[in-house]
Amino acid sequence: MPLLETRGLTKRFGGLVAVDGVDLSVEEGEIFAMIGPNGAGKTTMFNLIAGLYKPSSGTIRFRGKWVYPVREYWRTYLPPLAGYYTMANAVRQALGAGRLPIGLRPHAVTALGIARTFQNIRLFSYMTALENVMVGEHVRMRAQVWDALLRSPYARKEERQVRDRAMEFLRFVGLERYAEQYARNLPYGFQRRLEIARALATQPTLLMLDEPAAGFNPQEKAQLMDLIQEIRRRGITIFLIEHDMKVVMEVSERIVVLDYGEKIAEGPPQKVRTDPRVIEAYLGKSA
Amino acid sequence: MSKNSARGSSKLAGVRRISGRGILAFSRERKIPYLLLGIGLIIFPIVDTYTPNVDFVGDAGRWILLALGLNIVVGYAGLLDLGYAAFFAIGSYTFAILASPQFGIHISFWLLLLVAAFVAAMFGVLLGAPTLRLRGDYLAIVTLGFGEIVPRVIRNASKFTGGVNGIVGTDQPMIPAFLGFHGYSFGLNPVPYYYLMLVIIVITILLIRNLRNSRLGRAWMAVREDEVAAAATGINTVTTKLLAFALGASFSGFAGSYYASKLFIVTPETFSFVVSVTVLLMVVLGGMGNIRGVIVGALVIYAIQAYVLVQLPGWIASATQALDIGFLNNVDISGYVQRSSILIFGVILVVIMLLRPQGLIPSAQRKVELELGTTEEAVSDLRGSA
Repeated sequence: MPLLETRGLTKRFGGLVAVDGVDLSVEEGEIFAMIGPNGAGKTTMFNLIAGLYKPSSGTIRFRGKWVYPVREYWRTYLPPLAGYYTMANAVRQALGAGRLPIGLRPHAVTALGIARTFQNIRLFSYMTALENVMVGEHVRMRAQVWDALLRSPYARKEERQVRDRAMEFLRFVGLERYAEQYARNLPYGFQRRLEIARALATQPTLLMLDEPAAGFNPQEKAQLMDLIQEIRRRGITIFLIEHDMKVVMEVSERIVVLDYGEKIAEGPPQKVRTDPRVIEAYLGKSA
Repeated sequence: MSKNSARGSSKLAGVRRISGRGILAFSRERKIPYLLLGIGLIIFPIVDTYTPNVDFVGDAGRWILLALGLNIVVGYAGLLDLGYAAFFAIGSYTFAILASPQFGIHISFWLLLLVAAFVAAMFGVLLGAPTLRLRGDYLAIVTLGFGEIVPRVIRNASKFTGGVNGIVGTDQPMIPAFLGFHGYSFGLNPVPYYYLMLVIIVITILLIRNLRNSRLGRAWMAVREDEVAAAATGINTVTTKLLAFALGASFSGFAGSYYASKLFIVTPETFSFVVSVTVLLMVVLGGMGNIRGVIVGALVIYAIQAYVLVQLPGWIASATQALDIGFLNNVDISGYVQRSSILIFGVILVVIMLLRPQGLIPSAQRKVELELGTTEEAVSDLRGSA
C-alpha cells in the first residue's frame, strides 16, 4: 500500500483546470519529486493534499486513511457545521444526489502526518525561531485550555519537553544559535531551514517541500541536499517540488512530471530525463 | 551542524522568562518594584481616607479589566473587535437579572462572577462563529454591528431587561458569615470594592500571562501572523479563534458583574460604541499584546478622560486669575476649554501616537516591527557569524 495515493485528482478554478485527473502514489521511505513548467499545477497539488484547497473531484488517501473525501464530519468539524453537513447529506440522499463531499481540514491533515513548507516562505515573522518550531509541535501537544490558564503541572511538564524538543529540531537544521531571533530577522537561507524545522516539529511521516532550493547558491543547494538525505534517514518520506534539475536528478529516486495540470511522465530520473513528452513540455515542440 | 550547542543552550536559558511554580509563577526580574507597587496599592485606601479617591482608582480597575480582555482578541489573536462593549453589557445584565428584584432572584455575587464570565464567553463564541472567515476590516464591521445590536436588543427586551430604565437595585457582594464572623455586605462603601477589584485584576493578569505563555497563546499568535501557515502547521484555526473570542469576552463578564453590583443599576446607555472604542484605544495606545502596556494604556486614557479633561477648565480658570492679565480676564478661556474637551482629547491621542507609534510599552514583537535599524543590524550580524 502506498503511503500517499491520489486518484483522478482534479481542481478547477472557474474555467481553468489547474490539476486534471492526476494519479499519484508516493511509496514509504522514498524521495519523490514533482517537476513541471511554471503553472503546471504542482503547488495546487500540494494545496489539495494539505487540505488548503477542496478538490473538484478525485480522492486522496494517506496511510490507508481518507483525506478526501471523508465521512466523519464530527471528527473534523465543530458540532454546528458537522450538524449542517449531516442534515444537508440527509436531504441530498433523499433526493438521490449522493453525499456532499468534504475533506479533512488542514490541521487534521497535519495531525495525520503530512507536513509541508511553502514556496514563498510563510513563517510567523514576529515570533522567535524557537517559538516558530514550538508552534509546529502544537499538533502533538495535549494541554487543554484549563491547563494553560492555571499552568497545571501537566502543562508545565509538556512546555518543558516541547521547548527542549524544539531546540533539538533547531539544532538539526543548524539554527540553534538563532533560537531567540525573530523569524523575519533571519537571512533568507536560514528562513527556509527554519520552515523545514517547523514542519519536522509536527512529527510527520511525509514531508512535502515546495521548491526548497529556490534562490539558493550552489553551496547552499549542496547543504540542502544533505539535509534532505538526513531527514530521509530518519524515516521520513520526502515529496518535493523543485525547479532546479540538478537538485532533482541528484536527490530524488522517482519523479513525476506535470504539464498543464496533467501527469505526462513518471519514473526514475534517467527515464524521465529522456522522455520525449517531458523534453517537449520544457523546451517546446520545435525542439 | 551542532558545533555551537553550548552557546545554543545558554541562549535557551534566556528564553525561560517565567520561573517558580504553577499559577503564581513570578517574573524573575523586577520583583522588588512589583512588590512595592503591590504594597502601595494595598495601603492606598488606608492612607487616603477620602473615599471618592478610592472610588476613582477602583473604577480605573474596571477599564483595566476590559482592556486586558480585549487584548486577548486584538493583541494576541489579531482579530479586530469594535464591539467589545457588547460583552461588557452581557456580563452586566447577566449579573443584574440574576441578582436583583427584577425577577426576585438573588444569587451570590461570587457565583455570578463566574456565571457572568461564562455567559459572556458563550456570546463570544456566538459572535465568533459567523465571523471565522472574515479578516481585518470586514471582521471589524461585523463586530461593530454586534456591538450595536446588543444594547438595542437590551433596550427593547424590556420584559427581561427593564428596557431604557434598566435594572435598578442590583445586589451587593456579601462575605457570608462563618466561624463567628458575622458576615459583611459591601453596601455603598467603595473601599471593599477597591480591594475586590485589586484581587480580580491580579488573578486576571496571572491567568492571561499563563495563557500567553501556553500552547494556546502561541496558537493565537501564529493565527495572527499567518493564518494559512498556522493551519498547515497543525493549528485548528476555528477553535483557536473561537477560544480567543470566548476567553476575551469572559474577562468583560468579570468587569460587568463588578460594575453592575457597584452602581446598583444597569442601563443600556452605559454600553455604547464609545466604550468599545475607548477600550480599543487603551489596548492600541498602551501597546498591543503586552499586558503591562495595556494596563498603562488603560490608566492613562482613564486618567485623561476622567481627571485631566474634567479638571482642566478649573486649572485654566485659576491660572488666568493668578496671572491677572487684563484682556485675559475678559475672555472665557476655561469655558472654551470645557466645550472643546473632546477636541483636546483627540489632540492628546494624536500626539501620543506620533511620539510612540508602537504604544506606551510595546510588546517585543511590535518593537521589532517598528525599529527598522534593528533588522538590518541583526541580519548583518548573522551574516558575519554564519
